[in-house]
Amino acid sequence: MLAGLALVSAILISLELTTRLLEPVRSVIATVVSPLRFIAQSPYRIGDEVGDVVATRQMLLERNELLERQVLELSNSSLQLLNLKQENQQLRELLGSQARVADKVLIAELVGVVPTVNTHQIIIDKGVNAGVRLGQAVIDSEGLFGQIVEVDQLTARVLLITDVSHAVPVQINRNGLRSIAAGTGRMDRLGLENVPISADIVQGDLVETSGLGGRFPQGYPVGYVDAMVVEPTASYAQVSVRPTALLDRSRHVLVVMEDSE
Amino acid sequence: MNPANGGWLILLSLAAAMVLAILHVPESWPQWLGWLRPAWIALVVFFWVMELPHRLGLISAWVIGLAADVLLADPLGLNGVLLAGITYIAWRFYERLRMYSVVQQCGVVFLLVLGSELMRALVQDVAWSRGWSWGLVAPALMSMLVWPLVYLVLQRFRLQFRVE
Repeated sequence: MLAGLALVSAILISLELTTRLLEPVRSVIATVVSPLRFIAQSPYRIGDEVGDVVATRQMLLERNELLERQVLELSNSSLQLLNLKQENQQLRELLGSQARVADKVLIAELVGVVPTVNTHQIIIDKGVNAGVRLGQAVIDSEGLFGQIVEVDQLTARVLLITDVSHAVPVQINRNGLRSIAAGTGRMDRLGLENVPISADIVQGDLVETSGLGGRFPQGYPVGYVDAMVVEPTASYAQVSVRPTALLDRSRHVLVVMEDSE
Repeated sequence: MNPANGGWLILLSLAAAMVLAILHVPESWPQWLGWLRPAWIALVVFFWVMELPHRLGLISAWVIGLAADVLLADPLGLNGVLLAGITYIAWRFYERLRMYSVVQQCGVVFLLVLGSELMRALVQDVAWSRGWSWGLVAPALMSMLVWPLVYLVLQRFRLQFRVE
């Protein structure tokens, strides 16, 4: 009996690692157990609610002031954006290349964290019902956050870009140099893979998604280059990147819905 | 595991264990605290099989494992086979285990959880190259430390509601 179950488990695990056959099964089970997730997250929700209720007038005023300042700054840069967008469009027409469509986004709230310490994954409160699909990119207000790896009716699981099993095709914003940014298992660091030691990368370079591979849309900021270390005997440089997204702090994230025409 | 005759208590305790298993450390606390999480689900399953070996069998342990797989984002079937292994040992030796002192039971819990964490780390390493660390000893140690508490609480409820 035990051997039989072990065999079934082994078959399930290898099926899951190599194919996508078991995704519907997972999503059914996830729908069944999702109440447990909401219960586990409720202390934090209650904490937030209580924090809102007991916030003092002074705190609210300060917060309001901060938000107003942000609105001003953002509306200023969005004015410039309109101008730049039009200019970009014209240049693209001159070059004869296709205009880029703006991505639609869906706002989602974090409702859980996968508790295992050596993996970086979160649960968000939007699922199939809201149009979330497997593989969609997730961003927050600062940059690339991760991608959807499991969806059920009401929630979805997001693999963060810093998880060791995650990698994303990127380019250096300054010169278009392409690379792969892989997770390191640390919340504050990504590593660029297979960077030649002669590569033109300096500290502070902005790393953004390149859109190659088709999974992530192009042009979202991923992080800033922290350091480039070249060991004399190594064939590749070690480049560490600090993610711009607030991976351990953001409560709200955006799911990028690709436009299917 | 039918709801009659106190089956609801078994289900409720399992649900509570699952909630405890996915409660996460607040963002402002040091994240290594997450390593100190006891294997709650394994402890509760171990308790029920040891006390009521005719109520909880291998198949139900495996099905509980499926729910745990989704909650903990493990590949489907992994927690099932780990829990089934623990169930098998508890079922095979339940008469002896009940006679053991608390300290001896803690030792057994330590070995069982350590074994299952090793298996989990092995599968995760093969599947996603997560790597190895001494951190996997921590859940075993913590499970050993909380076992007397789990035992006392569940035993008390079991006797109070006469679950047999």
